[in-house]
Order: sequence, then C-alpha cells, then structure tokens
Amino acid sequence: MKTTIYSLFVAGALIIFSACTSSETQEGGTESSNVTTDNTPLGQASVVDSESDPNILQVAIGSPDHTTLVAAVQAAHIEHILVNAGPLTVFAPTNAAFDKLPEGTVETLLKPENVGDLTKILTRHAAPGSYNIEALKKEVRKGRNKLYMATDDYFEITVEGDDVYVNGAKVLASIQTSNGIVNVVDEVLLPKE
Amino acid sequence: MKLTKYLFAAALAGAALSFTSCDSSKKESKGALGGNLAERSFVAPGEHDEFYAFVSGGFSGQLSVYGLPSGRLFKVIPVFSVDGEKAYGFNEETKAMLNTSYGFVPWGDSHHPDISQTDGVLDGRWVFINENNTPRIARISLETFETVEIIEIPNTAGNHSSAYVTDNTEYVIAGTRFSVPVPQRDMPINEYKGNFKGALSFLKVDPESGEMDLSFQIMMPGFDYDKAHPGRGKSHGWFFYTTYNTEEAHTLLEVNASQNDKDFIAAINWKKIEEYVANGGGKMMPAKYAHNIYSDETHTATSTMKTEVLTVEPKDVPGAIYFLPTPKSPHGCDVDPSGEYIVGSGKLSANVTVHSFTKMLDAIENEKFAGEAYGIPILNFEDVLAGTVVQPGLGPLHTEFDGKGNAYTTFFISSEVVKWKLGTWEVIDRKPTYYSVGHLMIPGGNSRKPFGKYLVAMNKITKDRYLPTGPEVTQSAQLYDITGDKMELLLDFPTVGEPHYAAGIPADLVAPNSKKYFKLEDNKHPYATLNEKDVKVVRDGNTVHVYMTMIRSHFAPDNIEGIQEGDKVYFHVTNLEQDYDVPHGISMIGANTSELLIMPGQTETFVWNANNQGVWPFYCTDFCSALHQEMQGYVRVSPKGSDVPLKWSLDDE
Amino acid sequence: MKKSKIIMMLGAFLLLSLFVFPLWNITLEAPQYPEPLGMDIWINKIADHNPNDIKNINLMNHYVGMKEIPIHMPEFDIFPIVIGAMSLLGIIIGFIGKKGLYITWFVVMSILGSAGMYDFYAWEYEYGHNLNPKAAIKFMDKNGDPLAYQPPLIGNKTILNFKAKSWPMAGAYLMFIGMGLSVVAFIVDKKEDNS
Repeated sequence: MKTTIYSLFVAGALIIFSACTSSETQEGGTESSNVTTDNTPLGQASVVDSESDPNILQVAIGSPDHTTLVAAVQAAHIEHILVNAGPLTVFAPTNAAFDKLPEGTVETLLKPENVGDLTKILTRHAAPGSYNIEALKKEVRKGRNKLYMATDDYFEITVEGDDVYVNGAKVLASIQTSNGIVNVVDEVLLPKE
Repeated sequence: MKLTKYLFAAALAGAALSFTSCDSSKKESKGALGGNLAERSFVAPGEHDEFYAFVSGGFSGQLSVYGLPSGRLFKVIPVFSVDGEKAYGFNEETKAMLNTSYGFVPWGDSHHPDISQTDGVLDGRWVFINENNTPRIARISLETFETVEIIEIPNTAGNHSSAYVTDNTEYVIAGTRFSVPVPQRDMPINEYKGNFKGALSFLKVDPESGEMDLSFQIMMPGFDYDKAHPGRGKSHGWFFYTTYNTEEAHTLLEVNASQNDKDFIAAINWKKIEEYVANGGGKMMPAKYAHNIYSDETHTATSTMKTEVLTVEPKDVPGAIYFLPTPKSPHGCDVDPSGEYIVGSGKLSANVTVHSFTKMLDAIENEKFAGEAYGIPILNFEDVLAGTVVQPGLGPLHTEFDGKGNAYTTFFISSEVVKWKLGTWEVIDRKPTYYSVGHLMIPGGNSRKPFGKYLVAMNKITKDRYLPTGPEVTQSAQLYDITGDKMELLLDFPTVGEPHYAAGIPADLVAPNSKKYFKLEDNKHPYATLNEKDVKVVRDGNTVHVYMTMIRSHFAPDNIEGIQEGDKVYFHVTNLEQDYDVPHGISMIGANTSELLIMPGQTETFVWNANNQGVWPFYCTDFCSALHQEMQGYVRVSPKGSDVPLKWSLDDE
Repeated sequence: MKKSKIIMMLGAFLLLSLFVFPLWNITLEAPQYPEPLGMDIWINKIADHNPNDIKNINLMNHYVGMKEIPIHMPEFDIFPIVIGAMSLLGIIIGFIGKKGLYITWFVVMSILGSAGMYDFYAWEYEYGHNLNPKAAIKFMDKNGDPLAYQPPLIGNKTILNFKAKSWPMAGAYLMFIGMGLSVVAFIVDKKEDNS
C-alpha cells in the first residue's frame, strides 16, 4: 500500500512538472497574439494558495485519473475558468472515458489549431451552479431534468436506480471543491445528434 | 468508489506543490510587461490627472473620487453611510440626509454612479447614484463634491436597475430588483406569482437646480429588474431594463430563476408614458418616502416625508411597453453611442445578444409578436436580433463603448475583458483581469460621446495581487489603455469598498467648477456667527447654544463658564476663513459623536452633554496652521444650580 | 485752439483716471499660494486683488505680529481732493494757455507725487517694523535684531518664504503720462511761439 501511495505521489509530481513546462511555452506563444489563444497569463489560476480548500482545477490536477482532462484544459488555456468563484459544476471525464473516443480524437484536439473546438468541448462539461449527485437527483425529482451547460446546451439528467446519468454518461462520484462540484463521469459529454 | 476518493485526497498535496513550483515562471513572465507601461500611468508630482473617476464603494455606501490614469484616490464622498471623518450623519446639519421612511439609516449599498448629460454628452454637473438596500437615489454636486440630495423610492426593494440618466438628464430612473406586494401587505410568500409587482420609477430632474421629483412609477409584472440603460440618440425617449426570474420563483432562485431559456429586456417608451401622465393618466396611491435636500446656503439638510406617488399600469398605456426575449437571465443592459444596439448579456449564456432598435420599431409596427406576458407584447426574438457575439467568454456581465465602433464586455467566470466589433460581432481582443471582473468603465462609455482612451475593470476578487491584509484583502480596479487594437494593462489600484461601477469624465469638464470655499456673506445657517465680535453663549433651560467661530489659530470664545451638570450643549461653529484649503476641525472630550470638519465659510453643529463637573478641553482636529496645536479651549461645568454665571471669553476679553 | 493747450488739458484730464484705476499693487507670492495674495492701492482705498486677499494677508501676518492692513487712512480723504483739484487746475491752466503755468503745474505735481511716495514709504515702514511684542513667531535678522517685514517701495523683495512685489498699476502710469504731457505742452508751446 505504502509503495502505491509513493508512486502516486511521484506520478503527480511528474504531471506538475509537465504542466509548468507547457505553461512556459504558452507564454512564448502569446507574442504571436492569436485571439483565441491569448488567454495567458493564467489569471486567477496562477494564485498560490496551499491553505484554502482546493478548487476544481487543483482537484483535477491532483487526480491521476484525469491526466487527459488536465492536459486538455491546459492546451485550451482555460485553467482560469476552473478557479473562478463559481459556483460551477464540472463533469470530469476520466482517462478511460477519453480512451473510449475514436482513435486519434484526443491527439487531434490537442493540436494548437484546434484549440477553439477543444475549448468548446471542454466548456460543455461545465454548468453554472452546484449540483452533486444528490442535487442532480433532486432536479429530476422536481421535473427539472434539463441541465443548462455553459455553452448554451441542455443535457438531460436521468436516474436509474441509485445511479445518475448526464447525457448518457454515468456520474461515478461527486467531489466537493472550494468553488463548486466535480462530478466524475465515465464518458466525454458530446451533444447528442 | 472509496478508492477513487482516496486517490484524489492523496494527490492534493501534489497539487499544492505544483503551484509553488509554477510560481517562478509566473514572476519571470511579469518582467516582460515592463516596457513603458509605468510611464503611461505615471502622473508626475504636482501634475494633474486627465480624468476623474467616480467609483462606487458598493457595500461601503460611499463614492470615491480617483484620478486616471494614476489611480490616485482624492476623496471618499459620504453618500449613504455615516462618515465620522466628515461628520456626515453625525452633525446636526446632515442627520436629515440619512432619514428614510424607516427612520434614520446609517448605512447603504451604493451601486451605479452616472454623470448628468446634455444632449447625450457628459456635462459634469452632478453624479447620481443608487442605493440598493433601502431604495434611494442620491445626487452629488460636482462643485462641492458633496451629497446634496437623497430621495427614497417607494414600492421598491433592492433598487438595482438604477440610477441612469436620459440624454438631457430629463429623468434619472430607479427599478426594483426584488418584486414585492404593492402596497405591502401580509400574504403567503408562495403566492408571489402573479401577485407581486415590479415598480420602475422615473424621477424628473430640474434642469437648473438638479432637484429630483418622483414623477411616476410603472407597475410591471413581478420579475427581477436587474440593470437598465436609456436609449441614446435615435432611441432617445426609450428606456431598456433587463429582467431575470421571469419564472417568478420565490425560493432557491439560483436554480428556479434559471429555468427559462430566455428572459426579457423590457423596452419602455417613457415619452409616451410622460404624455399619458401629463394628460392626467395614472393613479395616485398612498406611499411614504423621504426626500432630503442639503442647502449650501444654510449648510443644513431638510427632510420631507412624501405621502403619495403616481402609478401607471402598463395595460393602460398600450404601445408603450414591449418585451425583447433575451437569453438566460440577462444582467448588463447597454446601449451603444448611436442608440441602435441594445446589448443584453445573459450572465449564464455563452453568447452576448445584441438587439436592434430599428428592427424593434419595425417589429412593433408590424406586430411581430411571439405572445404576451401580463398584457405586455413579447416581440419575436429573431425579428429584433441584430446579432450575436458567439462564445466570446463565460459569464458576460457588462458592456461599454469606445465611440470607434467597438464594444468591451466583461466576463465574470472566464475573468476577462473582451473587445468586439459592433455590426460584425467579431472578437478583436481579450485580456485577463485579476480577478473576476464585474463592471467596467470607459469615461463617457455609456453616453453618446465616449472618451475612449482608458478602460477601468472593476474586479470582485484580488486574492494574491497585493500584500495580504488578513482574510479581508483589498478591492481592486485595473486600468487598460484602449487606444490601440489590443488592450494593454497599465495599472492595478486598490479601491475603497467594492468598486461596483464607476463613471469617468475628462477633468477639464469638472475641475474649473470646483468650489474653493463658501462665502461667509452667503452663509444663511440659522446659528451662524459671521464675525468674531458676535460670538455668544445662550442658555434656554437645560439647553445651551454656543455660537462659536474659528480662524487661524484660535476659537472664539475659547473659555466658557457657567455650564451646569445635565446641560445639553450645542456647539454651532463657523469657520471664518475665506481661503482655499483652510478647514478647521473641532472635537471635545466626552462627546458621543464625531468631530466636525468645517470648510471655510461653513457652519456646523455638534452636541455635547455636560455629564460631569470639571473643566473640559476642546481642540482643532485638522492640522490647520503653524499654531494648530495652540488651537484649543476649555468649558467649565459646575454643579446643577451653581451660581457661576454664564460667561465666555477670548484672551480674557 | 493751440495744440499745446489741448495737450495740457488732456494731460490734466488723465489724472482723473486715478478714480477709475488703482494706483499701486503689492503682491505676495509663496508656494502654498498657487494664486498669489494681492492688494490694490487706490487713491481712496486698499482693495483685494482677488476676493479675501487682504483678510488672508492679515491672517498670515498676525503670526509675526504685524498689524491689520487699515481699511481707512486719512490719506484716503485727502488724495481724491488733491487729485481732483490738480486736474481741474491743470485744465484751467490749459485753457489760459500760458507755458510758464504748464511747467509750474508739473513741478507742483512732482512735489505732491514725491510727498505721496514718501507717505506710502512711511506707512510701509511702520507696517513692516511696528510689530506686536506678543507675536507668536519672532524672526531675527543676521544682527540679532527683530526681522522687519517692510515690502519694497518699488520692485521685488524676498521676505522669508514670500516674494513681495510692489509695482505701479494703470492709474499711476496714466498719471505719469498726464504729467509728461504737461512738459510736452510746454515744449510744443515754445515751438509755436518761435514759429
């Protein structure tokens, strides 16, 4: 068990390391001043605070199950959105969820020229308000089963037994953060055709 | 499942680490910002700023005066909250300013300052500002930089969509954020829907004196009226209000008021309603509200309690009010300098919606209605839409204009200002704010003539931007240069209270009119003493009135005897100076009130209760002159019924 | 009418401008007064250059024990009569048209003018030297004597942190021109006699 934790810690540190290098390259890229990528510097995401309860971004960065998501967030330069006062509900697809996407999808999205699409896809995973599993169940109970997402889309919430699904993706766990809720989901949320 | 949670927790420590390690790269990148930015916001010692910025104090209840581009603070004008420094709400003269139908209220929540206009251009005569909690509008004179009038708004709760002026300052408006039963009565809260009302108030402004008068209130459906903007130029004569909670929810609004796909911008043809009212329309209803006016001649405020208000039902004035569907709880309601575009920022929407005034008139004329709400026609969304700024950021709030065809919108959630082009709706530039910007201000940026040189972003959060001061850290504004294609962040500066909104104006429209002192010969204060020879002390039962003067560097009289235990002593103090920047202060041990800070030529009064025998000093509190420390005196208090005669003197004469 | 007569009458007439314009001005400049304090001296009064200037000069000066600037002085009664009389006399002289009288008028005016300047100096001396012994602030000069605050008769002078400026104003210049014209009239008359 001890070794597991230790290796996790090392893995975390590695992620962090890569996060730093990538942010440096972003700043270099700012010079070209492309409108859509001109989100750097990181704004509120650069606040150093190890005392307060962790926010959505910090929780995501700290999770070894969400390395793909974090990499995507950093590629889209939208870190500052996840540290905002909120409250926000973020549906966080696991690495396994990203793996379910067709081969090569993630790699394509991570290319700098696709940053617009990537941003939109990621933003679609955020909803204004605080909805953990229990709150989502209440919404369904009250007949308010359409959840409004930050991209103007509505996702349907369904309850099957004890499980809650958003747009067909199963909510695996709800994590309370300082600025909202992280709901871990097993699929990437894409609009249903 | 448990394991997942455990893993999260374990990795949190790593997250903290990551931020420490990233810090150094952030510091380095700041160096690149250097350049000549410091120079461009630097105002050399003795030089003056180019603009005044009147920044609302939000929950401080006051209005602060800053210079731009330096960000230097000049004055905090007390408006809705008492201020011990200036004796506002403490001296006998200004207590009436804070009188309301609920009695004396020592605090307020100031929100939106707006500068008076002539022909849609800032004229620099007055600043109007609204109070949210105890609904009021104040008028501040830009000659004295003092609050000269406060009027309460009845039938209103949360006076948020306020205090904006029309092109010629014909009206300043108020609007209720919280709908309430009108008139107030005992009823179940869950019967809100259909029964509560939202009053929108129009206050006529006297073109000479600036005095406000509540002309009429429109009794709208029970939505939340959030922000407002008058029509400009071609749309002059209309007023636009954003609404949310068109669901008419009465509980858990964060969910229940966010259900409708679209709420409304209410378009109100106030000229039509003005005409209707002028022809005897509307219904008088009983209402209690205070109207307080401060006079620069008597240096005293008077409070009058009004007893009725004229109300107008929308259904009685057909063709005067329409609803423009606008996505997702629109917050900011902003009209461009030409008056053609009405920008509604759905705060939960990813897009910014822009309506066209021309299309709106056409839709009205051709009755392109999508339905109606409480008898008010709802126009077809597509028929009034001018365009949409697609996905510019998250959480759009407010928009101002530079007069060069560009609009600037703040985004709370994505914490940035985005510049976009009117007409093409394309995003031109975006800059982060530190952090979570609310309002923004370009001097004149909500009028027909913006002075598009600087933009001030007013932030809700500062976190690590300044030296920490415990859990409560400073509030902050940020100055951007907007003369180029790209915005440039020049300066952070701390603000007093919450910098809710601001109004800016070129200094040369205001500074030349700033008053230097009050003329003694114009002083009509009933207890003024205009000459040192006329000072006196007058007993009236247990009340004693001291007619006192102050001039460099003494009080007259400075020795007073014959006061008795239990006396209530009124010190009416006149500053005899007639020179710029020579105020004097006075305070006295044992006084249960603030100091007085008296401007040259002014008279102010404080009360002192002679509770204890003895000899009690008073002194000048404002370092006035070389012999300021010598500016002091004594009051002798004798036992009740003592035969010490009432006596006053200066230099034993 | 002879040219010299007209010039003489015009010169005498110009004296009357002293009733319209101030004679002299004393201005005090200091860093804390971005708008300097000034007093205008007329033949019948001392007046504020800008509103309340004299009050503020008095307030400043009382710390060093200087008296208040007088609202009324005996000179203010005498000067208008003298000026009025001299102007009238000059016009009559011009009418008579004798060049000897022209130059006599000029000499009398010069004597009166000098007397006036001496009187002004004497007042300045008294104002600057006669200090209240109970003054809050006492300055000494290099010799250990009490510092005097006498403004200059004409010209600029630095007194502590103040720069005192004393210069004639429009009334004085017009008076000088008037006196000069009487001399011109004398010369012109002489030439007219010769031709």
